[in-house]
Amino acid sequence: MERTRKILVILLCALMILGVAGCGATGTQGGAPSQSTASSQEATPASTQEATPAQSSGEKVNITYACWGTIEENKAVQDALDKFNASQDKTKVELKLIPWEGYVASLNTMAAANNLPDTANMQEPMVMDWVKQGMLADISDMYAGSDSKPLDCITYKADGKPVAYGVAAETVVMYYNKSMFDKAGVAYPPSTLDKAWTWDEFVANAKKLTLDKNGKHPDEAGFDAQNITQYGCLVENLAWQLEWPILSNGGGFYSADGSKVTIGDPAATEAIQKVADLYLKDHVAPLSIGSTDDGVQRGLIAGTVAMTTNGTWNVGTCLNTAKEQGLNYGIAVLPKMKQSATLATAGTNVVFNQSKHQKEAIEWIKWYANIDNGWPLISAGIWPPIFENYYTDETLTHKWLDNPNFPPYADYKAAAVDPMLDKNYVHSASWFYVNHAADFNNLLTSILGDVWSGKATAQDVITKNLDKFNAIFNGTAN
Amino acid sequence: MINVIQKALYTRSIKSTNMARQESRAAYLFLIPAFLGLAFITYLPLASVFGLSLFKWNALTPPVFNGFNNYISLFTKDPYFLDSIKATVYFSVIAVVGSLVYSLAVAMLLNRRIPARGFWRAVFYVPYVLPGAAVYMGWSFLYETNFGLFNYVLSQLGIHKVLFLSDSSNVVPSLALISVWLSGNLIVIFLAGLQNVPRVYMEAAEIDGANAWHRFIHVTLPCMSPIILYNILMSLVTNMQIVVPALTLTNGGPGNSSMFMTYLMYRYAFQSNQLGYACAISFVFFVLIAIFTIILFATSKTWTFYEGGDDRK
Repeated sequence: MERTRKILVILLCALMILGVAGCGATGTQGGAPSQSTASSQEATPASTQEATPAQSSGEKVNITYACWGTIEENKAVQDALDKFNASQDKTKVELKLIPWEGYVASLNTMAAANNLPDTANMQEPMVMDWVKQGMLADISDMYAGSDSKPLDCITYKADGKPVAYGVAAETVVMYYNKSMFDKAGVAYPPSTLDKAWTWDEFVANAKKLTLDKNGKHPDEAGFDAQNITQYGCLVENLAWQLEWPILSNGGGFYSADGSKVTIGDPAATEAIQKVADLYLKDHVAPLSIGSTDDGVQRGLIAGTVAMTTNGTWNVGTCLNTAKEQGLNYGIAVLPKMKQSATLATAGTNVVFNQSKHQKEAIEWIKWYANIDNGWPLISAGIWPPIFENYYTDETLTHKWLDNPNFPPYADYKAAAVDPMLDKNYVHSASWFYVNHAADFNNLLTSILGDVWSGKATAQDVITKNLDKFNAIFNGTAN
Repeated sequence: MINVIQKALYTRSIKSTNMARQESRAAYLFLIPAFLGLAFITYLPLASVFGLSLFKWNALTPPVFNGFNNYISLFTKDPYFLDSIKATVYFSVIAVVGSLVYSLAVAMLLNRRIPARGFWRAVFYVPYVLPGAAVYMGWSFLYETNFGLFNYVLSQLGIHKVLFLSDSSNVVPSLALISVWLSGNLIVIFLAGLQNVPRVYMEAAEIDGANAWHRFIHVTLPCMSPIILYNILMSLVTNMQIVVPALTLTNGGPGNSSMFMTYLMYRYAFQSNQLGYACAISFVFFVLIAIFTIILFATSKTWTFYEGGDDRK
C-alpha cells in the first residue's frame, strides 16, 4: 500500500512537471512579459502562430502575409494570394487575418516573441517607428523600372528619403445621401475642387438637412435640439482625420517640414473648435468623441446623417454593399475654411527583417505591388492605385473607374482623382514623415474628450498640454 | 517492569518518528506541483515584472537598464498615470459599494418564499455568465448619446439627454452601473450566507421587540459579516482590474476619465511598445491593490463577527 502510494505520488508529480514544461515550450518565448486577460483577447493570434519552417532551397517555401480588413477586403486579398500561388510553385503565401482594432498590439507582441509573419500590411502609425528600429527590410527600390512612379503623397520618408510606399492612395472625401438632399430640395455638394463649399456654406446646407421630430430646422423657432431625427453632417473626428480641417484653416499638427509641433497655433485650435461646434452650437452633427472610425456606417448608411467625411476606402468596404441595399450616395470634395485641403494615407506592405525567407518575401511583395496583381482590391473600390499615370492618363482612369462598384465616373474623378496631383490640396498624413505619430494622436484623442461635449474649449486643453505634445514629438516623453 | 514500559514507549516513539517522517515526505511530494505552479505562474512573473520595470524595452531591440527612472517618469511626467489612478479608484469604490448594496438587497428578496424563486435566482445570476465584451457593446447601444434607448426614453419624457459615455463626469458612474448589474456571483454568495443566519437569533430578537430593520442591522448583518468581507475583497480586486469597457467602448476617454490602470498598461505595452514602462505601472498597481487589501483586513477585525469564535483570548 505504501509502495503504491509512493509510486502514484511520483507519477503525479512527474505528470505535472511535464505539463508545465510542455505549456512553457509552446507559449510565448523570448522573455515577453505575461499578458493580462485584456491583451489575451487581441493577442491570441500571436500565441497560435507557428514559426515558419526553415526549408532547403528547391522545396516550396511557405511565407505568411498578415493584414486587417472587412469581409470584402479579405476576399479580394485572398483572390490576389491565390493568383500568386497559382502563378508559380516556388513560394506559397498564407493569409493571416488580424482585426484592425488589435493590429498594432498583435504585431508588437509577435515582434517581442520573435514570431512575426514574413510580410504584412502595416498600419500607418507603426511604419516610421519600425523603420527607425531597423525592423523592416529595405524595399525602397521596389518600383525601379516600372513605367510610372508612385504618388509622392503616399511615400514614407525618413530624412527626405523614401523608405516605404503606401499600398493605395486613400484620401479623405465627403459622401452624401442623395435621397435626403432631394427630399430637402438642397443642391448636391460640389465634386469639383474649384466649386468647393466654404465652411459657412457647408454649415448652412447642413442646417437645411437637419430635422427634429417636428420637421423643424436648427435656425427655426421651436427647434428641439433634444429630439433631432436626422443630422445634416458628421465630420469624422478620429484624431488623425482632424488634421484636414486644421490644414484647411492654414495650420497643421506639425510644420510642413515636420520639424516642430504647431498644434497649439490659433489656426489649429480654431479649426478643431469649429468641428466641435457643429454639435455644440450649430446642432447639425451628432455627438462623436472621436474614438472610432465608423462614421460612414453609423451615420450615412444607418440613415441618420446626410453628409459624412471619411476615407476613399469606404467606397469598397461598406458603401458598395449599402448601395446594393438601396442607399443612393454621392461623392464630393471637402468643404474648406481658408483653403481646400485633404489628407492622403495608406498602410504599407513590408517585409520583416526577422523573416527567414526574405528573398521570397520581397518577391511576393513586389509581385503584389504590381498593379495588375493588386487589381481585385483596386476594382473593389478599396485601394485607389498609387501610380501617377492612373491620375494623368484618362484611358487608365477609365480602366479603373468604369466599374459599377464606383460612384458615377465624373463625380469620383473630380473629387478623388483630379485633385491628387495638386500638392497644395493633398497633404500626407503626419505619420508619413514624423515619429511617434501614434502617441501624439492618442494624446490628442484623450485631451479633446471634454471639447466634444462642450466642457472645455479646444484652445484651453491644447495650450495646457502643449509641453506634453512637444515631449512626445521629441521622444522625451518617458 | 519500568524497563518494559520505557522500551515500549521508546519503540512507539521511534515508530511514530519514522511514520511522521514518511508522512511529511509524502506531504512535501504532494505539495511540489503546487509549489512549482505558484513559483512559475505567480512569483517568478512577479519578480520579472519588477525586474523589467527597471529597464527601458520596446520589444524590438534589447532592454536597456534605466534604474528607477520609469517610476519617476510615471509620477512626474506621464500625462495619463495620475488620472488613471483616480479613475480606477473612483470606479472601484462606486462599483464595490453599489454591487454590495444591490446584491444584498436582491439576495434578501430572493430569500423569501416567492413563486418561481428558482427562476428569479437564475435571472439575476445570468448577467454574470454573459461574455463581458458583448454585454458592454449591448449597453453602449442603450447609452448611445444620439439614438440610444435611454436617451430616447428621456427625450420622450421631455428630459434633457444625458451624455452617458461622452461626458467625462458621467462615464465612470455609467460603467459602474453595468458592473453592478453584472454582480450575479455576489448574490449567490450572499444567499448562501443568509441561509446560515441562525433562526434562533432572529426569533429571540423578534421576541425582544425588534422590527425588521433592527433585526437586519443587529442580527443579519453581523452574522453575514465574514461573507460581506469576502465579497468586498473579491469585488474590490475584480473591479480594480477592470479593462473591458475601456478596450471595447471608450478607449480611455473622454479625456482620461476611463483610463483604467490595466488599460493604460495594455496601451503602453502593446500599442506604444514601452514594455518596461508598462511593467512599472503594473508594479505600482500591485502595490495599490495590496494597500487596499491590507486596509480592508486590518479594519475587518473591528466589524466582522465569527460565530465559531477565534483564538483571541
